[in-house]
Amino acid sequence: MGIFSVYIVNKAGGLIYQYDHNTQRPEVEKTFSYPLELVLKTFDDKVVVAFGERDGIKVGHTVLSINGIPAEGKVLQDRRDILDVLNDESNYPINIKFGRAKLTANEKLMLASMFHSLFAIGCQLSPEQRSSGIDLLETDTFKLHCFQTMTGIKFIVMTDPKQTAVDIFLKKLYEVYSDFALKNPFYSLDMPIRCDLFETNLQAAIEQSERQGVSNI
Amino acid sequence: MAALGRQKSNILDKGLGKGKPEVNIATYALLFSEIVQYCQNRVQTVPELQNRLSEMGQHVGSHLLDVLLLREKGYKRELKLLNMLLFIKSNLWKTLFGREADKLELANDDERTYYLIEKEPIVNKFISIPKDKGSLNCAAFTAGILESVLNGANFPAKVTVHWHKGTTFMIKFDESVIARDKLVEGR
Repeated sequence: MGIFSVYIVNKAGGLIYQYDHNTQRPEVEKTFSYPLELVLKTFDDKVVVAFGERDGIKVGHTVLSINGIPAEGKVLQDRRDILDVLNDESNYPINIKFGRAKLTANEKLMLASMFHSLFAIGCQLSPEQRSSGIDLLETDTFKLHCFQTMTGIKFIVMTDPKQTAVDIFLKKLYEVYSDFALKNPFYSLDMPIRCDLFETNLQAAIEQSERQGVSNI
Repeated sequence: MAALGRQKSNILDKGLGKGKPEVNIATYALLFSEIVQYCQNRVQTVPELQNRLSEMGQHVGSHLLDVLLLREKGYKRELKLLNMLLFIKSNLWKTLFGREADKLELANDDERTYYLIEKEPIVNKFISIPKDKGSLNCAAFTAGILESVLNGANFPAKVTVHWHKGTTFMIKFDESVIARDKLVEGR
């Protein structure tokens, strides 16, 4: 559980490889009574929490299911609109599961490009001369490490905040990339990576790094 | 001047030497990757690609045979089939790849066919075959080397590569070779 996921971005900003090692996303299920103290809003075809964080339910969490019926966008699987269900007092007490929705492939592409742009902005905004960009993004639930190579490829790794030696892991990733992607005659530069040996060795590197490095500081 | 003269004669005095130069695997892998891409741009089908790689290997093998026999066997030719194959399995592989081939087997039903088996050939170390080229094995290059070494040593044979227990080189000798070998053994 040390390393959550790996993203590789090419020099144009496109995502060329993505791997989720830990697919568990935070989820909270609770029973609520009328009136609901959370303020919900519709965002990007999903129902998310806008205000009223409590009990582990944070802003940005999506409604994943109601009373066990999974949600699909703004409606439940049985075609009832979610906001209508939640506004109707007769449905209470009601059991809602909130959590971070799983990212779709498109969303991952978009977020990778966004990070690429932020990285460039970070270089420009830095108060130090000749900054080399965003190295580490720290939050209370994860850390995002980024390593940019001399050829413009970025290796982005999301890890547990307690994971150590991630820069060594990033260098190992670079080695695996230069071995099994760049020496493969069937791989074209800057294209999505579809090499079996690359994936196998990447997973081995992740497992080795996880075994070695979770500190308890 | 005197020092220079001494240096010159020193180098000339030294023998040719074994000279086992070692090449970085990264350099080799990048060169081989380019060879495969070069061949791929000129063919349309997978069997043709394997043939091209085999042809390139044959150039290497024909040049390598003389040097190898000179260095390892002291100018003596191999006359017996089994000895030649063992020479290939140990010496040739050691010179090319730094280690011996894994197994040498005789086919059960056909005495003309031998199998040389390698679990993980070094030429394939960094190559992942895409799904649309399912049966391609880049060790066809090594098969070409094998074929021209055998042909050059007067054991005419055809060598093909297969995905079996890792990578298997199927060596099929001509009838004349087997017949001649029987005579030599009988003597």
